[in-house]
Amino acid sequence: MLHTLPMINKTWMPRLAFAPQNTAPRGDTLMVVFLRGAADVLNMVVPHGEDAYYQLRPSLGIARPDDSRTKKEERAVDLDGFFGLHPNMYPLIDAWSDEQLAIIHACGAPDESRSHFKAMELMERGVEDERGPASGWIGRHLATLNTGNSSPLRAVGMGTSPQRSLSGSVPVSALRSIVDFHLGGDQGALAQMRAALNIVYQDDVMGQDTLSIMDTLEKLDPLTYQSKISYPDTEFGLALKQTAMLIKAEVGLEVSAIDLGGWDTHFAQGSVNGLMPNLMKDLADSLAAFHADMQDHMNQLTTVTMSEFGRRASENGSLGTDHGHGSMMMVLGGNVNGGKVHGEWPGLEDGQMIGPGDLAVTTDYRDVLSEILNKRLNNSATNEIFPEYQPVMRNVLK
Amino acid sequence: MTLSRRDFLKLGALITASTALASCAPFYRKITGDLPATAWASLNPLDFMMLNRITFGARVEERNRLAEIGLQNYIEEQLDFESIDDFSCDLQLSSFKTLDKDANELEGISNQLFDGYDRETVPNELRQAKLIRQLYSKRQLYEVMVDFWSDHFNIFIEKGECFYLKTVDDREVIRKHALGSFHDLVFASAHSPAMLTYLDNQANEKSHPNENYARELMELHTLGVDGGYSQQDVMELARCLTGWSVKKHFWLGEFVFREEQHDSGIKKVLGHTIQPEGQKEAERVIEMLVKHPSTAKFIATKLCRRFLADNPSQEIIEKVAKTFLQTDGDIKSVLRVVLLDGLAYLQPKYKRPSNFVLSASRMLNVETDGVAINQHLLRMGQQYFKFPTPDGYSDHSQTWQGNLMPRWQFAFDLIRNEMENTKHNLQNLLNVLLTENLEEDIDAISSLLLGSPIERLIRDQLIDSVTSAGANADEALQVITASLIASPAFQWR
Repeated sequence: MLHTLPMINKTWMPRLAFAPQNTAPRGDTLMVVFLRGAADVLNMVVPHGEDAYYQLRPSLGIARPDDSRTKKEERAVDLDGFFGLHPNMYPLIDAWSDEQLAIIHACGAPDESRSHFKAMELMERGVEDERGPASGWIGRHLATLNTGNSSPLRAVGMGTSPQRSLSGSVPVSALRSIVDFHLGGDQGALAQMRAALNIVYQDDVMGQDTLSIMDTLEKLDPLTYQSKISYPDTEFGLALKQTAMLIKAEVGLEVSAIDLGGWDTHFAQGSVNGLMPNLMKDLADSLAAFHADMQDHMNQLTTVTMSEFGRRASENGSLGTDHGHGSMMMVLGGNVNGGKVHGEWPGLEDGQMIGPGDLAVTTDYRDVLSEILNKRLNNSATNEIFPEYQPVMRNVLK
Repeated sequence: MTLSRRDFLKLGALITASTALASCAPFYRKITGDLPATAWASLNPLDFMMLNRITFGARVEERNRLAEIGLQNYIEEQLDFESIDDFSCDLQLSSFKTLDKDANELEGISNQLFDGYDRETVPNELRQAKLIRQLYSKRQLYEVMVDFWSDHFNIFIEKGECFYLKTVDDREVIRKHALGSFHDLVFASAHSPAMLTYLDNQANEKSHPNENYARELMELHTLGVDGGYSQQDVMELARCLTGWSVKKHFWLGEFVFREEQHDSGIKKVLGHTIQPEGQKEAERVIEMLVKHPSTAKFIATKLCRRFLADNPSQEIIEKVAKTFLQTDGDIKSVLRVVLLDGLAYLQPKYKRPSNFVLSASRMLNVETDGVAINQHLLRMGQQYFKFPTPDGYSDHSQTWQGNLMPRWQFAFDLIRNEMENTKHNLQNLLNVLLTENLEEDIDAISSLLLGSPIERLIRDQLIDSVTSAGANADEALQVITASLIASPAFQWR
C-alpha cells in the first residue's frame, strides 16, 4: 500500500500526485480567514477623520495620524486621509502600497440578532435567514464548479474540524498540522495498519481521502519548509504557512479556510496594547508573511477576511465593546483594486448608526464574495451559492 | 443464553483464570468485582444504540444488565443514580486534592505568591476527574447529563479566575443539579462566580452596563436565539443584573450582590415591568425565563439532539417540551420521555471525540489515569473546559466528521498500549470466551465494539490483508482490533 511518489527535483519539494491534470476551469486559490467573535473593526481600520469616533471611544480610540500629543507609534497609520490602520496592522502597509490590499468598510450581513452563533451560521451558510440550504457557501461553490480536481486537499479547513462554510456535497479535509498527519510505528506495523484501514474504509470516501492525504503529506514537513519569510510562531501563522506549503506543493488546493478566534472583546480589549491589539498583530504579521512568501503566486491567489459582525461604536464601561453590526472585509491578492477603502461610509453620528449605536452596513458581504467567485474563481453560479440574493458588483477586484 | 456442557466447563475454567488475571488490575476494581467474568449479551440494535447514548460506551456488565432487566428498568435504575454504589470510582478519585475545595482554598492552592499563579494544577485535576468519572462511574446517565449541562452552561476555563472557579461551578452547579430541576440549575449558574466571570458580569455596573451574560442567559441558557426576546430585552436584563459580581477579598471567589453598582431604576423585560428590588429583579426574570415555553422547546430540542438524533423530529420535541412545562423542568421526568418515547426516533449520531475515546476505553476495560487520553482529546479538538465560546462543544455529527486521522492514531496507540499509564484488557476479555481461532476472536471483538459481528467477508478480507502485510496471529488480532476502533462503523453510536 505504501506506494512511493515520484520525486521530481524541481524545487525544495517534490511535485506530487493530485496536481490537477486540467486546470482550465480553476481560478485562483482562495484563502478565507474568519475572525471569530465579532472583530472590533473600528479599531482595526480607524475612521480618524470622524470626530464622533473619538467622542464614542475616549479610552479605546486610536489617535489620529497627526496627533502630536500621542507617540507616533501609537497613532493610526494614515491610508487615505480619512481612514488609518491600527499601528499593529502596520505590517500590511506594503500590500496596501502595492495596491494588493483592498478594504471594504461598513460591510456585513443583514442579520441583526447580534448573536455570534446565529450570525456566523447564516454567514457561513451564505443565507438570509434559517431557511435555505444547510450547506456552506464554499461547499456550494465547490459543488457548482467542476474543476476535474479529485484531490482530497481540494478544500481544506485548517483546524480540528472543517468550517461550516465548507460543508456540502464535496468532501473537504480538516488539517490541524501537516506533521501530525501520520500513524506512528515502524514500516512493518505501518503497512499492516494501512492494509487494515484500506479494508474497513473500502466504501468510505472520507477514509480513502484520509489515506491519500497520508501519502501526500508524508513528504511535506513545515520544519524543513524553506522560505526566506518567517511566519509568526502562532497557530494562525502556522495555518497560513501550511496553506503556502500546500499551494507550492501543487497538491490541488483550491480553498483554504482558516479561523482566528478571540475577538469577542467585551472586557479590557486594549487600545494600542493588550488583548485585541495582540490579535491584530498576529493577523497582520501572519498575512504580511504569507503575502511576501507568496509573491510569485499572487496572480492566482485571493485572500479574504471576514467576521460575523462588528462591535458597538461606543466603548462600554469595562474598557471593551459590546456586540454591534457593521463589520469590515479585507481582500488581498494580485488582482484586487487595492490601496483603496471601498464602500460607502455611513458615519458614526446620531441618526447615522443603527440599533443601540452600531455602524450600519452599506455593502453586503455577499457582494464581495460574489465578485471574488465571478472574477477570480470562474464561478458564476452565485444564485446557487447565495440563494435569494442579487449581488451588486462593487469593483473590488479586477 | 444456553450453554453446552463443554462450554460450561470452559467458562468455569475461565472464571478462575480471569480472577487470577484481574489481580493485575487495580486493587479497587478487583475487590468490587468490576471486571467481567462472563461473555457479553447480544442486544437488539435499538437497545444497543440507546445504551450507547445513556452511557459513554457500553461496558460488558452494562449490556448484560440491560439484557437482564430491559431498557425501561435500566433507565429507572440509572435515573435513581444516588442508589447506585460507586465505590471503585470514588476510590480512584480520593487521591485528588482540589475537587471538594471552595474558591478561597483553590485560590490558595494556585497562588504561588512571588511566582504568580499556577493555572494548570486545578484545571488539570478537574479534567482528569471528569474523564475518570466518565470511564469508571456506574452512574453513567448522570455523568452523561453532567456532560450535557457542562456544554449547555459552557465555561472556558482559561478566562480570568475561571481556572479555579470552574471547579466550584462543576461541583455546585452542574453536578449538584444535573438530574434535579432546571430552575435550580439556571438559578445556581446565574449565581456562579465562574459564570459571572466568564461572561463579564462582574464588570456589569450601573454606570456602564455589560450585556454579555444577560444575552447568553436568554440566547443560550433559556429561551434560545429565536425565543422571542429583543435587543432591548437584553439591555434591560443586563440592567437587572448590574451589581451581580464576585468577591475579590474576604470570602474571595464567592458570589456578591453589590448594591452600590446596581441600577435601581424600573426595568421592562419581555413585556413585564420589573420593580426595583435589587438582587431579586434578575431572580424574578430567571423565574420567567425558566417557565417560558420557548425555554421548554429549546431544552427539549437540545436533549433530543444529544440523545436521539441530530435533527430530532418535531413530534418528539413537542412531547418532551410539554413534559418540561408540566413538571416545571423536572429533569428526570423530561429524560424519561426523551429516552423511552424517543426510542422510536433514534438516528445514528457521529461520536464526538470524547464519546469515541471513552467508548473504546470502556468497551475494552482500559485501566488509565486519564492523562494520556486527555492529550488525545486535545488533538481531536475536545479538551474539557477548553471551548472558548459559550455555546459549548457542538452536538452535530457534521462538526466532527472531517478529522479521522487523530482517531486512527488513538486506536492504534491504545491497542499497542503506547499511551502512558493506560492499558487495555483485550486478552482478558477474550479469555472469558475461550475462543479457538482468530476468526472467533474477531467476531467476539466486533460484537463487543459494534453490537454484532462484522460481515464474514470483511472479516476474512481483513485477516488476508494484514497477514499479507506480514502480520503474525498476535499482530493480526491487534491490528484488526485497532482498525475496528478506527472503522467508520465505530465512529457512530
